[in-house]
Amino acid sequence: MFRPKRKTSDFGAEIEAHIELETERLREQGLSHEDARTAARRAFGNVTRAQERFYESGRWLWWDDFWHDLRYALRMLRKQPAFTLVAILTLALGVGANVAIFSIVNAVLLRSLSYRDPGRLVRVSFNEPGLGLRDITFSKPELDDLATRADVFAQMSAIAGGNVAMTGVKQAERLELAVTGFDYFTMLGAVPELGRLYGPQDYDPGFSPYAVISDAFWRREFGGTPDVLGRTITLDGDPSTIVGVLAPGFHHPAVTAGNVDVWCPAGFSADPFPKPIRSNRGLNPGIVARLKPGLTLAQAQARLTSLAAQLRHDFPADYPVQAGWTIEIQPLQEFLVGNVRTMLLVLMAAVMLIVFIVSLNIANLILARASARQQEMAVRLALGASPGRMVRQALTESLLLSFIGGLAGCASAFATLGFILRFVPPSIPRLSEVRIDWVVLLFALLISILTGLVFGFVPALHSTKVALSSAIREGGRGSGYSTRTGRLRDVLIVSELAFAVVLMVGAGLLLRTLRDLLQQNPGFDPTQVVAANVWIPVPDDPKDDLYRSIAPKAAFDRELLRRMKAMPGVELAAITSDLPTSNHTVNDPQGNDVLAIEDRALESSKDLRAERIRVSPDYFKVMQSTLVAGRFFSEGDEDGKLPVVIIDETTARKYWPARDPLGRRVRFGQDPTQPWMTVVGIVKDIKSDGLDIDGVPHIYVSVYQNPNRAFSVVLRTSLPAAVLDSQIRHEIQSMDPGLPVFNVSSMNDVLDRSLASRRFSAQLVGGFAGLALLLASLGIYGLLAYMVSQRSREIGVRMALGAQRANILKLILQKGMVLAGVGVIAGVILSASTASMMASLLYGVRPHDPAVFLVVPLLLFAVAVVASYLPARRATKVDPMIALREA
Amino acid sequence: MSTQGTEDRLELLQGTLDLLILRTLIFGSQHGQGIARAIQQTSDEELLVEHGALYPALQRLEERGWISAKWGVSTNNRRARFYSLTSAGRKQLGKETAKWKRTAAAIERILGPEET
Repeated sequence: MFRPKRKTSDFGAEIEAHIELETERLREQGLSHEDARTAARRAFGNVTRAQERFYESGRWLWWDDFWHDLRYALRMLRKQPAFTLVAILTLALGVGANVAIFSIVNAVLLRSLSYRDPGRLVRVSFNEPGLGLRDITFSKPELDDLATRADVFAQMSAIAGGNVAMTGVKQAERLELAVTGFDYFTMLGAVPELGRLYGPQDYDPGFSPYAVISDAFWRREFGGTPDVLGRTITLDGDPSTIVGVLAPGFHHPAVTAGNVDVWCPAGFSADPFPKPIRSNRGLNPGIVARLKPGLTLAQAQARLTSLAAQLRHDFPADYPVQAGWTIEIQPLQEFLVGNVRTMLLVLMAAVMLIVFIVSLNIANLILARASARQQEMAVRLALGASPGRMVRQALTESLLLSFIGGLAGCASAFATLGFILRFVPPSIPRLSEVRIDWVVLLFALLISILTGLVFGFVPALHSTKVALSSAIREGGRGSGYSTRTGRLRDVLIVSELAFAVVLMVGAGLLLRTLRDLLQQNPGFDPTQVVAANVWIPVPDDPKDDLYRSIAPKAAFDRELLRRMKAMPGVELAAITSDLPTSNHTVNDPQGNDVLAIEDRALESSKDLRAERIRVSPDYFKVMQSTLVAGRFFSEGDEDGKLPVVIIDETTARKYWPARDPLGRRVRFGQDPTQPWMTVVGIVKDIKSDGLDIDGVPHIYVSVYQNPNRAFSVVLRTSLPAAVLDSQIRHEIQSMDPGLPVFNVSSMNDVLDRSLASRRFSAQLVGGFAGLALLLASLGIYGLLAYMVSQRSREIGVRMALGAQRANILKLILQKGMVLAGVGVIAGVILSASTASMMASLLYGVRPHDPAVFLVVPLLLFAVAVVASYLPARRATKVDPMIALREA
Repeated sequence: MSTQGTEDRLELLQGTLDLLILRTLIFGSQHGQGIARAIQQTSDEELLVEHGALYPALQRLEERGWISAKWGVSTNNRRARFYSLTSAGRKQLGKETAKWKRTAAAIERILGPEET
């Protein structure tokens, strides 16, 4: 199709050759040279016409028109540098924002997971819908049932892990560990960069002595040396031999606190795992499996549902009827990204609204120019330009503009993506996969073309509808704010305002949510509190565990707190098993313990649960939380004394709605030999699971009676975290050098991090809303200013005939206010019908929050009035004499 | 002879020029002037080929890929652009010929036998 084009000169040469040949032939017949040449020319006919036909026949014309249009468009853009700059800058911003957000959406939501045949991978969860519990812990026999009795999975792997202490290095370090089954890598289709990956041949009922490490960890810890293979590292006190390094693109298919450094396989049935007894549900949720070939998701789910029914029937003691224990699967990708989908889609909608507003704004500017260029258009039409050519010319101009803007947008997104990603909360999964690939570029191209069409088409079509005679005449007299252009521009402004309202309402709702979260009382005072996390290793053999029994652990805790309090600048120190708002796994099944209450029948107490938090006596004082009744823990609440608990108000309301809970007794777990624990105090609710999570009952127990492995130290101090960091580390590691200390930060930073994703989306949408407001007000201002300049003669006449300045002011202001009013109403209707889609992103604010729906329209209206006032005032300054004379 | 009596000659019917060009080229490659001469001579000087119309037609056929062209030297040592039939052009000639024959026969039937 695209052979090199034949040049016109070549065609000319051919015609010349023809005439020569013909002349020669005629001369052979006896004609004189002159006569022969004339005759040859006559026989040929019109040479110019032939050349024209050659020209028109080819793609020449189209191509030439295109170049012509392009050159003309460039000239027009250069002639109006202010317009061009504004258009390109706003477009670059709009397209750039779209490219940046879309590259995230593409990586997180659209691109399939980077495993072999990722569509067939599923996440398995055990649920108890009867108790409202999802993704609960499970036992080894239940895991085995999935493998042997379900007949739906080709491969599967339980996935556990979290903190692990690496010792034997300069300083004990906390690593992110993934514990998997032996089929894990085969199932995911992972490949090693170095060495080998473990597989079924390495089977071991407990931990196998092999480890695979990530590329990042290999480079960080071993400097990327190939002789890392065969080296031994000590993980939680046990030696592990490194057999392989994973290729850099591999990501562990679970939501983790950080990137996984080490993978260890385990059989999940020997120490340190819980005994493989069905009722012993001690394994953390997280099973990934690959469906058998040919099996659909629905078929697999049906088989699992009947398996669950069979198990409930076979083991009635383990599966109480009211719990309704089930097995469910969902696509792995959905599981991994499901929780950020709404947020990303809202952000995507916001940036698309912005680019739409930008293009409406440019359409408006072009239309204003089109009215000014009406005379030019009319002359061209009169000289015989076809309407098609006029539209093409206009569209070429718009598309050129949108391409330049799009290119600038892509370039700025490309240059700033790394920077932007630093503001994206790390809780969004798959962020490391974000990049600008061809899908993103294609999207950018599409957005550019679409915007170009939006802001090009309306004015383009308009340009052909010029009534010839009147346009030339009007143009000559320079009077017209013609009705047709005017109406079109009104529609553009109204839609621009309406979209701005939608963005502002969205931003308003998100910002109010954020403000409410920041302003509410979290039940503690985060200022002047520094927190540090400590991990106590879990050795494979329980006998090696120094902190297993209560007495040595309590002694350790006391010594640790003594050392902490002795540090200069530290007022108080305490220990907690759950640092407020830092818990990544919502509904933590470990802490969500089954509860028994003494004065309730055993049967009805099956569905009682509360989150158990282990704290040292001074915890509530460090956090400055309020005691409602009873007492705090004391040093005397230790092993061998009366077991005690402190409950929060939610627990009190939920389990003792009409009675005084003090003195009542509760027990965790279903083991009737465990002693009852007496309620000795009630505290105000502490937002332990996150500022946006309410209604979870918490029961606090004394860390001296109920020790925990992972814990946080909290200090009340006026010193910043950075100053205390090394001191805390030093004190703890001089007690036991094998304990990693990590994430030393102020409590305010912890709170901040827990709101990162809300803050990010609220500020981003807020920024776009501000931009939309600015663009919309510029739109109104531009429209009215243009109208005033076009109607200055009319205004002059009116004033000459006795119109007061107030009348003129009113005339223009009224126009602006009517436009703003219609736009705002349309926007409110649009927002009201779409706001509920954001419901899951809101907290404490309803999607139809009256305050937001009142403030936003008023704000926009006020801005519109100001934007209209400036041109209106200019209209009153029109000097009737000058206006009339110029006309 | 070529300059006289042009008014007696038959104007080419719309679309037949392509057919005649393709047909002429079946005997080997030829330049534009040669093609025009050949059509006139073969039709016993009955058909008038306006030379100026020939070249856009050649251009069109070339763009459709039915003929190909390259510059060469004519028998009397002049540079000229020589056209030759491509295999696609050969196929097209077959189709066009059949179509023309059917059209001609149909018109013939409508006009009926003519006794003159």
